[in-house]
Amino acid sequence: MPALFFPRRYPPLLRVAVLILLTVFVSVSSEKHPNIGNVSLTIAYPVQWISMQGARLWRQTDHYLQSRAALESENVRLRAELVRAQPKLLEADILRDENRQLLALLDSIPHPPGKVAVAQIIAQNFAPGSQLLVANLGTRAGVFVGQPVLAAGGVAGQVVRVSPESCQVALLSDLDSSIPVKPAGSDTPLLVDGTGNLDSLTVPFQPRNTPLKVGDKLVTSGLGGRYPAGLNVGTISAVIHNGDQPFARIAVRPAVHLGRLGTVLMLWDSPASQPAAAP
Amino acid sequence: MIVVVVVLGFFFALTAEAIPCGPFYALLHPDFVALLLLYWAISSASELSFTVVWLIGLLQDMVLGDVLGAQAIAGVVMIYLLYTGIARVRSLASWEQLFFIFVLLLAHRLLVWLWQAWAGTVTWHFSLLLGPLIGALLWPLFTLTLDYLRHALRLNHT
Repeated sequence: MPALFFPRRYPPLLRVAVLILLTVFVSVSSEKHPNIGNVSLTIAYPVQWISMQGARLWRQTDHYLQSRAALESENVRLRAELVRAQPKLLEADILRDENRQLLALLDSIPHPPGKVAVAQIIAQNFAPGSQLLVANLGTRAGVFVGQPVLAAGGVAGQVVRVSPESCQVALLSDLDSSIPVKPAGSDTPLLVDGTGNLDSLTVPFQPRNTPLKVGDKLVTSGLGGRYPAGLNVGTISAVIHNGDQPFARIAVRPAVHLGRLGTVLMLWDSPASQPAAAP
Repeated sequence: MIVVVVVLGFFFALTAEAIPCGPFYALLHPDFVALLLLYWAISSASELSFTVVWLIGLLQDMVLGDVLGAQAIAGVVMIYLLYTGIARVRSLASWEQLFFIFVLLLAHRLLVWLWQAWAGTVTWHFSLLLGPLIGALLWPLFTLTLDYLRHALRLNHT
């Protein structure tokens, strides 16, 4: 293979040292300028597209190999679940009607639902700390940085980088992720931070005598304007009061199964609050 | 011909890095790009260019979407470490190389981790050691497969 850039007459240690300096420069400038991240996502798209085809093939093989008996038992289980869910659906209908009437009484116009688009996950990067996915919708579909991303169950994360054809999503469990929430049925503003662990989030800075308890549901509060209010985030799974620590340690189980996402929903808030977002 | 095969190989290795197959795969899969770099460095008679190694690492960073430069610098340092003892490693049989491969892959993984920790986006977890371990254990199979492919495609003049 040809020696690009570096003539071989320089000693290897010198060549490595020069490359280390170059890497420091590249890393620092990519942290400073978010545009470099968007450009690198564009360059990576072909590789990620191929990797999605690989994953699709894998899933199809998996489906094909599932035996008839397994499918039949799954069918029976799903039917039973459907029967159990029917009363809840009816209840939901009644509640929605009631809610609309109450909102009308309060003279407040119900928040119109935003637009959603389905996106496929084409690449993943799960490392301790960083939990990033790449989905196959980009600026050409109107995706923007900071856009909320939903999945079955609730909020999955938000867009952190976009290219014309793809976008990178930081999941709620990413160490850098933080989302404003409130307990369902109360207005106490809280935050939920990522821990780097896919099945566990945390609520930081709560005093040891916090009123939060195991089983409390947390929903987005709408503060900050990035996520619309009322979306499911997770359920508190543990509250640990440790004598030496100034704060209680609160673990939250995310509402979405973050490790097994195949498709996600990109959410555009109603046109009134996001005029430039919808294509 | 040889260039096409090498480029295709790295392309598939990059694809395997990013394939969305769930958290278990992410935990267990070895760094295929690093394995392929080690394979070409050991088996080709001419010396790999550090710049090319660096560029491949940079592309891997772009595909993974992490801090730009982490994989690039780890790859360069790993290949540099390999070249300090290349004569010795080449004289060993592939299963005897296993230990060296483990040490090099571990150095690679730790460098990536350090670089990302410097940018502030990672925590330490013991599972970071699983990738290099599995990569090293796969090494004999990996070299056997690639040697066979090279033989089948008559690419012995590297």
